[in-house]
Amino acid sequence: MAININSYLFTVLTLAIFMNLAISLYGIFARPSLIKKIIALTILADTANTLAIMVGYRGWPSPSQPVKPPVLTVLKPSREVIKEFASTSVDPLPQALVLTAIVIGLAVTLFLVFLTLQIYRLYGTTDVRKVAKLRG
Amino acid sequence: MPSYETFVMGVLAILGLVSMVAAILAILERDLVKAVIFSAIQSTAYAFMYYLLMAPDIALVYIPVAIGLYPAVVLFLIKKTERYEGD
Repeated sequence: MAININSYLFTVLTLAIFMNLAISLYGIFARPSLIKKIIALTILADTANTLAIMVGYRGWPSPSQPVKPPVLTVLKPSREVIKEFASTSVDPLPQALVLTAIVIGLAVTLFLVFLTLQIYRLYGTTDVRKVAKLRG
Repeated sequence: MPSYETFVMGVLAILGLVSMVAAILAILERDLVKAVIFSAIQSTAYAFMYYLLMAPDIALVYIPVAIGLYPAVVLFLIKKTERYEGD
């Protein structure tokens, strides 16, 4: 078969993710509102996490059967069980890193939210063009 | 001959396009409340994407954080400050 439809669809997903990266970078750099910048920053962080998950993804070998969950079900696995498990499971390291990154991103977003609130209390605006024109 | 893998890949591609459209609308929207709602729709697409990419633990953490807590905190910020962006 000349065209593999699975890799085609996965390429569509990858291109959409990279478009999301570009869109959120545009939102961070070009939009004037600080709140819009925070929203774009959360989109950027989630997109980077999704790229890390996609790096560790692997399709299961048999496409005609439903997917097996990536766990071992026997208590003392033999070599064959471990070999078969390692040939079908996804990579757990990016998932552990992403789990940490989501929590750190939550803390960073809360800090930025209260920084923006303090800027609004001091200067009366959340527009970076007006904040940049202020003196003193 | 469509298979399970083709089905999963197709759903993943559709979710990617949905998240792209929602991100574009969230960035270009001037009403910040609507922008937060579009951002939550984009996060919902990402949550389903994590489940289909065989990371259900990430989906379990990601749904309360990105669909519940981020929009709540940003809506609190919008309520305290300005609702419309720019002039």
